[in-house]
Amino acid sequence: MADALVVEELSKSFGALRAVDGVGFAVKDGDVHSLIGPNGAGKTTVFNCISGFLRPAEGRVLLRGEDVTAWPPHRLIPAGLARTFQITKVFGDLTVLENVALAARSRLGQNLRMWRRASKVTSANVEALEILEMLGLAENASANADHLAHGDKRILEIAIALALRPRLLMLDEPTAGMSAGETEHIGKLVRRIAARTSVLLVEHDMEMVLGISDQVTVMTQGRVIASGTPDAISRDTNVQDAYLGALDARNL
Amino acid sequence: MLFAAGAIALAALPYAGVPPFTITLLTEAFIFAIWAMSLDLLVGYTGLVTFGHAAAFGLGSYAAGYFAREVTADFFAALLVAEAIVVGLAVTIGFVVTRVSGVAFAIISLAIAQVLFQIAIAWRPVTEGMDGLVGVPLPKIAGFTIDAGAEFYLLTIATLVLVYLGLSRLVASSFGRTLQAIRTNEERAAAIGINVRLHKWIAFTVSWGVAGIGGTLMVFMKAGTTPMSLHWSESGNVLVMAIFGGVGTLFGPMIGAVAFVFLRDEFTTRFEAWQLAFGLVFVVVVLAFPSGLAGIFARAWRALWPTRS
Ligand SMILES: Nc1ncnc2c1ncn2[C@@H]1O[C@H](COP(=O)(O)OP(=O)(O)O)[C@@H](O)[C@H]1O
Ligand SMILES: [Mg+2]
Repeated sequence: MADALVVEELSKSFGALRAVDGVGFAVKDGDVHSLIGPNGAGKTTVFNCISGFLRPAEGRVLLRGEDVTAWPPHRLIPAGLARTFQITKVFGDLTVLENVALAARSRLGQNLRMWRRASKVTSANVEALEILEMLGLAENASANADHLAHGDKRILEIAIALALRPRLLMLDEPTAGMSAGETEHIGKLVRRIAARTSVLLVEHDMEMVLGISDQVTVMTQGRVIASGTPDAISRDTNVQDAYLGALDARNL
Repeated sequence: MLFAAGAIALAALPYAGVPPFTITLLTEAFIFAIWAMSLDLLVGYTGLVTFGHAAAFGLGSYAAGYFAREVTADFFAALLVAEAIVVGLAVTIGFVVTRVSGVAFAIISLAIAQVLFQIAIAWRPVTEGMDGLVGVPLPKIAGFTIDAGAEFYLLTIATLVLVYLGLSRLVASSFGRTLQAIRTNEERAAAIGINVRLHKWIAFTVSWGVAGIGGTLMVFMKAGTTPMSLHWSESGNVLVMAIFGGVGTLFGPMIGAVAFVFLRDEFTTRFEAWQLAFGLVFVVVVLAFPSGLAGIFARAWRALWPTRS
């Protein structure tokens, strides 16, 4: 069986800065694969190149064996890829339910339907509500997304992505700005989601990454410096020098 | 229900002793209402602010007027020809302009309208230059001439009702919701699989098509048109109507258009600097009620009918 995602020799520069410099890794089907590294390592840029928001200068992206390099998002999503954003992007002035229902209708191929009322696309509404219930957001279904607390907005990001029923879900720092308790909740959630889909996770919380990942890839300065199981990564001296040590020092 | 009752009441006005002058103003207002709603689809729903929406309206006027004078005064034939031209051009330029957003979109759409304005001045054999197109006959439907005044007013109301119902359906559809998603957060819209450019392109084309309907009615009402119908100041006027009434509601721009026409009429007879007077009213309303006249009505409505939930 082909890997859920293979990234080969991916490169992307901003002016003189090589933000991503020959990055490669593979996400096995059904895995939670984490991409970690200090701020500015190029993780979000890798995400953007995979998900069609940036065109990589070099390299290839394979989704279940198919070359999808530089496909636009509206082709990648039907192919089974969905992502969230590090900086929350929800539809602020639409209701929480509508945020998720939009994604469900998109997946159901309704986007170009111009006559039937969106509110009558019952399957999308039902599905959206189910997802909100699963994620504990159902009571806020009719609130405007803008009015959600930060943590709930981060969860709404995930809810929107789940409504696309991805085979590979890419989460860019889902716990950004969250409390320890909320972070733990997200960690459990990711594991639950992983029962149905492969996950590529960018995450800062080291404890969480080591706890829930099947594989970890470590980036610094646009390059991959290590890839392996959480155990192997936490013992890797390169990683300790470049990253974990720095984090530990800060945490002390 | 309320809407149907309102439409019927409005349709009865010419037969209820309302003076012809007022009917003329209302006719103009309702034509502008069609135009302002078409703009709302772009500005209020899709988040594309255009400074060149006169292009669609003026082009519709020229196409329908020229055809009616030279070929046949049949209303639907003229409308069809105008739509073919307006929509055809919208598809073409929409493909280009919807590649950009924000200020760039506003400026490019303005530039396109100015190009049409210059063509209308320069292409004298067809447009008769600065003098404008004159001698457009009264429209005919099924061979019957639609007289200026009450009959044309009814035709306008019927068109307005159809356009309003059609656009209401459109904005409530899955497609309409994708437009609101794009307005709210373009990147997020792309990330749920919406083909943002395609959707903007379609919205642009529909918006122009609807504006072309307004332009067609207007050229019949005025029995002609001039290059001024394509001027940037007209694009400004329709923006004012839509914002004044409250964008993103369809209903708001309709009220805005009516308010615009009647306030303009009031102020031109009283003040020399009517635009200044209107500008002041506009600023006050928009500052006090960012959601425009529709916002005022919504508030009054809620005050009259305190929450029943
Ligand atoms: N759109 C952009 N334009 C210019 N520089 C960028 C852009 N996006 C990211 N960068 C730079 O690229 C580097 C990698 O950024 P990013 O991918 O966001 O890192 P990470 O997600 O690992 O924190 C940083 O130095 C950042 O400043
Ligand atoms: Mg990042």
